[in-house]
Amino acid sequence: MEEQNNSGAVNPEAQPKPAAQPVPAAARPGAALWLKIIAGLYALSLIAAFVVINKADAARKTRPKDLDLSKLSGLGKSKKDAVAVIPLYGAISQGSSGHSWERGSQQIAKRITTLAAKKEVKAIVLDINSPGGTVGAVQEIYSAILKAKAETKKPFIARFGEVSASGGYYVAAACDQIVSHPGTITGSIGVIFSVSNFEGLMKKVGFRSEVIKSGKFKDIGSPSREMTLDERKLLQAMIDDSYDQFVTAVSVGRKMPVDQVKLLADGRIYTGRQAMDAKLVDKMGDLQDAIDKAGELGGIGKNPRVISDSDPFENLLSLMDSKLSLFGAKSVVEAIEIAPSLEYRWYGR
Amino acid sequence: MDLFSALELVIVRPETLVAEARPEGFGRTGLLGYFFGTLGLFVCLRMFSAVPPGMMSFGVVLTLVLAANFFFASSIHLFMDFTGAKGSASRLFLAFGCSDYFLALLVPLAFFAKLDVLNGFLWFCLCFLVVIYARVRLVRRLYPVSTNKALLSVWLPYAGLCAVFFVSFVYSLAWLVWLVI
Repeated sequence: MEEQNNSGAVNPEAQPKPAAQPVPAAARPGAALWLKIIAGLYALSLIAAFVVINKADAARKTRPKDLDLSKLSGLGKSKKDAVAVIPLYGAISQGSSGHSWERGSQQIAKRITTLAAKKEVKAIVLDINSPGGTVGAVQEIYSAILKAKAETKKPFIARFGEVSASGGYYVAAACDQIVSHPGTITGSIGVIFSVSNFEGLMKKVGFRSEVIKSGKFKDIGSPSREMTLDERKLLQAMIDDSYDQFVTAVSVGRKMPVDQVKLLADGRIYTGRQAMDAKLVDKMGDLQDAIDKAGELGGIGKNPRVISDSDPFENLLSLMDSKLSLFGAKSVVEAIEIAPSLEYRWYGR
Repeated sequence: MDLFSALELVIVRPETLVAEARPEGFGRTGLLGYFFGTLGLFVCLRMFSAVPPGMMSFGVVLTLVLAANFFFASSIHLFMDFTGAKGSASRLFLAFGCSDYFLALLVPLAFFAKLDVLNGFLWFCLCFLVVIYARVRLVRRLYPVSTNKALLSVWLPYAGLCAVFFVSFVYSLAWLVWLVI
C-alpha cells in the first residue's frame, strides 16, 4: 500500500485532542512486562489447545471410518436387511447425457444392478408409474432386471401406480410378482411408430426439403413427404418383430402361452382388476403391500426396512438440469420433437 | 527494536503512529499481529472443528484475513480521502494488524466455551467488538476525524459485505424457489 497523504496526518491542529495525554513510556516500565506475561499465557494456551486438538483428532481417526459418501445418498444407512424401492416414473427413454442425475434408462438399469448387488438388499420393488417409452430404453431396463435376477436370485416385485401401460408393463413382466391398484391403467401391449406428415403445411409456407440419399429407405419416416408402400411394409415388419418380442417377454415373464398373450395383446388397456382377471397382474394392493410382499419373498418378513433410491444431491442436480436446460425450454423442445421412433408406449395420457 | 518494545510503544505512545517517520518495528509488529491473531482464531475454530486441520488450512485462513483487512484498510482510506481526512493507508493496514492481537483471547475463550463455562458465541462476538473498538481508536489516531466518523468508516466495509451476503442469500432463496416451482 502506498504511503500517501502523509502531510495532512502530521498536522497537529487537525488531529483530535486525546482526552488524556498518553503517559510517556518511561513512566510505565511495566507495560512491556505485562505484554510478555500475556504472550507467555498465550503461548501456554496455544500449547494446551494444540494438545487438545491433537488428542481429539487422534480419537476421531481411531473411530471406524463410517464417513462414506454413500451414506449421504441414503443407500447404506445400516447393514440391516432391507427392501430397495426404485421409482420408474414418466416416459421411459435413454437419457440425453451420461449424467448420473438423469433419469434415463441407463441410469435406472445401473441402479437396479447396484442395488441388487448389495448384500443387505433382499428384494427389490419397482414402483412403476409410466406409459412406457422407446423400445430400446424399455428393453435396457428389462434386460437389467433379468440379469440381476439371474446373478443374485433376488425377487423383484412390480408395483403399479396410476398408469403402467405398454413399456411400463413390459418392464413389469420381468418381475416375479405384479401388485396393482384396482383402478390402475395397464395393458396396451403393443408397439407404435408414428410419423407426422408436414408436406401440406410446408407447401403452404413455401418450404421444400431436398434429400439426397444412398438408398431408397434412407429417409424413411421423413415428415416432408408421403410414406411409400415399401416403407410401410418395412416398418410394419419392424413393428411385428418388436411386437413379437413384447409378447414373448410377457409370455415368459407371466408364464402364459404365447397364443393366450396374443389374445390380450391387441393394444387395449385394462384396469388393474381386469388385468388380474386376465392373469396379467398377481395381486391388488398399494406400495406398502408390494413392499410387504417383497419382504416375504426376500425372507425378511412383512414391513421390512426400506432403502429408498433417492439421492438428495442427485435430485437437486436433476432439478437444476431440467430447469436450466435451455432456460426451461427443454421440456417444450422435447414435447414438440417430431423425430419418429419405435415405442412401447400408450399415448392416452 | 523487538516486538514487545514496538507494541509497547503503540500502546503507551500512540501519537507516534502519526509521526513523520514510521515507528521502528511497526511493520513487523502489525504483520505479526495478523499472524498471531489469525492463529488464535484458527485454533479457536479448530477446537470447534469448524476448519480442517493442517498448515494449508491455516495458510488459507491467514490469506483470507490479510485480504479482508487489506480490503478494509483500503476502503476506509478511500472513504477518508473522499471526505477530506488525510492519513496513511499502509499505517492503517499495519495498525489493524496490531488490533488483531486481541484475537489471541479467542484461545482461552474457546477452552471455557468447550467446558460450557461461558457462551462461546457471545464471547466470540464480544472479542470481535473489542477488535472493532480498538480499530476505531486507531482510525482516530491515524486520521483527524471524530469518533462517529471513525466508527462509520470502520463499520462501512463490514456493512457492505453484509449487504452483499444478504443480497446473495435472498437471490439464492429466490433461485431455489424458482427451481422447485
